[in-house]
Amino acid sequence: MVNIKLKNINKNFGEVAAAKSVNLFIEDGEFFTLLGPSGCGKTTIMRMIAGLEYPDEGTILFDGKDVTKEPSFKRNTGMVFQNYALWPHMSVEENVAYGLKIRKFNEAEIKKRVTEALEQVKLTGMGKRFPTQLSGGQQQRVALARVLVINPSVLLLDEPLSNLDAKLRVEMREEIKELQKRLGITTVYVTHDQEEALIISDRIAVQNKGEIKQIGTPLEIYDHPKDVFIATFIGKGTLLQGSISEKNKVNVDNYYLSYTNNLELKEGDKVNVLIRPESFVLNKPSEESNRLEGIIESITFVGQYTELKIVIGNFSIIVNTSPKTILNKNEKIVGYVPYGNTILLPYEELV
Amino acid sequence: MKLFNLNKLHHELDSLTFLQVCIGTIFLSIFLIAPLLLMTGQAFISKNGINLTWFTDLLGSPEYVSFQSRGGRFGEVYNGILYLWGFDYGILLNSLIVAAIVTLICSIIGVLVAFFVNRYNFFGKRIFQILLLVPLLATPFVNAYVIGKLFNPRGGLINYIFYDFLHILPWRIDIDGLFGIILAQVLSYYPIVYLNVSAALNNIDPSLEEMAENLGAKSLKLFRTITFPLIIPSLAAGAIITFIFSLEDLGATIGFIGARANPLAKKVVSYQVFSSFAEALTGGISPKVAALAVIILILTVSSYILVQKYVNIRNYTMLSKGGRWGSRVSVPSKHRQSFIFVFLLLLIIIASMPQIGTILLATTDWTTSGALPTKITGEYLTTLWTNQDVTRAITNSLVYSLIAVVIMVIVGSSIAYVVAKRNIPGKGILDLLATIPVAVPGITLAVGYFLLFGQYFRGSVLDPLKDPALLLIIAYSIRRLPFMIRSVHAGLQQIDKSLEESSFNLGAGRTTTFVKIILPLVIGHLISGALLGFVYSMAEVSTSVTLGALREDREPITFFISRIIYGVAAVGSVSIGASMCMLLMAVEIAAMTISNYILKQKVSYLGV
Ligand SMILES: Nc1ncnc2c1ncn2[C@@H]1O[C@H](COP(=O)(O)OP(=O)(O)OP(=O)(O)O)[C@@H](O)[C@H]1O
Ligand SMILES: [Mg+2]
Repeated sequence: MVNIKLKNINKNFGEVAAAKSVNLFIEDGEFFTLLGPSGCGKTTIMRMIAGLEYPDEGTILFDGKDVTKEPSFKRNTGMVFQNYALWPHMSVEENVAYGLKIRKFNEAEIKKRVTEALEQVKLTGMGKRFPTQLSGGQQQRVALARVLVINPSVLLLDEPLSNLDAKLRVEMREEIKELQKRLGITTVYVTHDQEEALIISDRIAVQNKGEIKQIGTPLEIYDHPKDVFIATFIGKGTLLQGSISEKNKVNVDNYYLSYTNNLELKEGDKVNVLIRPESFVLNKPSEESNRLEGIIESITFVGQYTELKIVIGNFSIIVNTSPKTILNKNEKIVGYVPYGNTILLPYEELV
Repeated sequence: MKLFNLNKLHHELDSLTFLQVCIGTIFLSIFLIAPLLLMTGQAFISKNGINLTWFTDLLGSPEYVSFQSRGGRFGEVYNGILYLWGFDYGILLNSLIVAAIVTLICSIIGVLVAFFVNRYNFFGKRIFQILLLVPLLATPFVNAYVIGKLFNPRGGLINYIFYDFLHILPWRIDIDGLFGIILAQVLSYYPIVYLNVSAALNNIDPSLEEMAENLGAKSLKLFRTITFPLIIPSLAAGAIITFIFSLEDLGATIGFIGARANPLAKKVVSYQVFSSFAEALTGGISPKVAALAVIILILTVSSYILVQKYVNIRNYTMLSKGGRWGSRVSVPSKHRQSFIFVFLLLLIIIASMPQIGTILLATTDWTTSGALPTKITGEYLTTLWTNQDVTRAITNSLVYSLIAVVIMVIVGSSIAYVVAKRNIPGKGILDLLATIPVAVPGITLAVGYFLLFGQYFRGSVLDPLKDPALLLIIAYSIRRLPFMIRSVHAGLQQIDKSLEESSFNLGAGRTTTFVKIILPLVIGHLISGALLGFVYSMAEVSTSVTLGALREDREPITFFISRIIYGVAAVGSVSIGASMCMLLMAVEIAAMTISNYILKQKVSYLGV
């Protein structure tokens, strides 16, 4: 297994910057996710790691060794393509055996490893079938087996779950995670699904328009998004505007919410305030100034929770409650946001 | 920035790609560009240096361009015979007029037939669809010979039936000369337009037409405002091919001369170039012939490129192609159905006259028996394996065509792969060069080869005067290369690039990937292209009867047939030529059947 370092990578397609001054360090054995909206350049970064695309500028290092100019077939990465890219003229077995044949393993060894790999992805006995005779989930597993069988030093997964239905997606997500932990293989995972990223990753890099905006563990990114883009891209919440009134208090439309934060802020500074729907507590606060009082404008039953829209003065917030709580429209409601959950973001105009 | 491009080129230009680019470029430069350039150059050189003498000579001489008729008969009744020959406006104008009329008539018939077949259901449609393609079975020379024979005022079968027997016609009809050529060509070429337009009609999203109908457009209006504009690009593509085929065609002119010996049938460019080869053995080819070939080349290539540009811009038939659909087919009224039925039946009967005639000539005593054959005989067919001259010609053509196909496969797959999958600067030029042969008349190529390899490769294996075999092989492969490339290209386009990339990713280099992933995935297209290339090569006329004339023991099958039909062969009867055409037809049917039903590839039709 290896660690991967990307140093000052730039890549343009004509006018489009698919990677802009990208710096990443991916630990050995880490499950690292590239997350960002469609077209932001995630696939491009992954393809540069695989050697299927070359950066315009910058270096790529595997375990400190410069591989920037190495072609794909010399890098020993295992990439699972978004569309699986199974070869339709080869059976499942032949697909999986391909990398081994290229590496000139002997017949017996190939047979053994292919069987093992198919077992690993729970496809025992399917070896003779052709890709077109498999379901989407099975194809996905073949694609996975095909790269695992060569013991790649890096596993690259480009939106591997996007073609599967919702239920299968959850299953495969667990399986991939479990497999990766068991094999301890350095993994780069690309997705535009923030929920998937939060659940599956050790660390996440959030990308936008070619640039890496923030790197951190799922928790760090969820609780401490660095800017409005990340805050809105990951998780739900209500964005409000306010200004710092005194130490550890932010004034939002004359409600004074307490916060903790390590941004350098002084009195009078404008800020954006993010309130996650689950962080609103439907109780009287211990500190009177945190008290928020409003009227329920709408109630939406979602399943695991109920979503409320609460109008407080001149603004409104979205709040999740337990579906067991009995509430009525237009009911008056009192609650607060614990100071640790008031997320402040550097000020920018909201659209 | 320059540096980046070099860097990129370095990544793109691995050894396989380099090899493929070299194969394509070198092959096309030596065997397409160089001969044509040299020929063009020589056409501009006369005794007094570089000038337009040869061109002004040609264009100024009434033998080539005349705005008044220099003879011929059309619509004139004399001694109870209606003469349909056409008028002679000079060799160059004749060729252009013939090609223009053929293209126009083929377009009308092709569009009508395509529309009937693709938009209506009627009795016998499936059988019609197959029979409509019968003219694609090439029976070079014999087709025109048969038409000439049928419309002979003295004992022609048509005159016998309709004048002598049924008394429907007030006079006997004599079809010959330029009009005869037009008739023979129309009957052979209308399927080109028909197939092109059919493909377009099938590709039109039915919702486009339904929408228009929804807005109140009724059938004719619908056709005029929606359907027709959508098929224009394909029509243009089919029409330009027809035009080029007509200009370079030698089969009809030689066939008519063989049947009737009317000198008017010689007054076309292709015949002039052809006859110059008869003297080439002793006197070489005059720059005047080169100039003539250059004029034709400029006309065909420029109109081809124009049409190709236009087709690429206007190729919107696929625009709204969403999912799969059946194209819109309706059942017309009984009245209309019977009209369509009769129209198609007549067309098929008339258009398959050459093929039926060929079979009759080969299997009966029709050559000598007068209007109708009197007995069946196998004596001509047996010459296919008993007569030494015949078997030699057949063997020659088989060998040439097989080798030509191998070259086509290698060069074609190389170029198609580079064009479809690689990102090399200048690949657009390679792409263009590889499509150009469609527009280069075979007679022009033959002149170019003769000049280049006869003068500068004297005594080598490429010298046509020493041995034309190799040049014939190369000419075959170059002429059909575009169809091979198109077939493989179509296959390559269906291969997502991730199928290759996953192979690189698993450690395979580009060459391994090409052999193990790409080739197996396009093998159907490759074989299908090869089969068609083989068939075309066997039946190729223009270079076969020019370059092939240069050494007797190297003559290919079509040259042998032409000699028989033309009447200069001591080998014997026209029926032997017809027997050889039957062999060609059998090969063609076999190839198309394999391609269509076993490989499930649509016969790649001729188009831009
Ligand atoms: N080969 C290419 N040629 C030109 N532009 C490209 C090429 N590959 C990618 N791009 C452009 O670069 C940008 C980034 O593409 P990329 O595929 O990396 O995005 P992505 O984040 O993976 O998006 P998605 O979530 O839709 O897969 C896009 O604007 C895309 O159009
Ligand atoms: Mg992507």
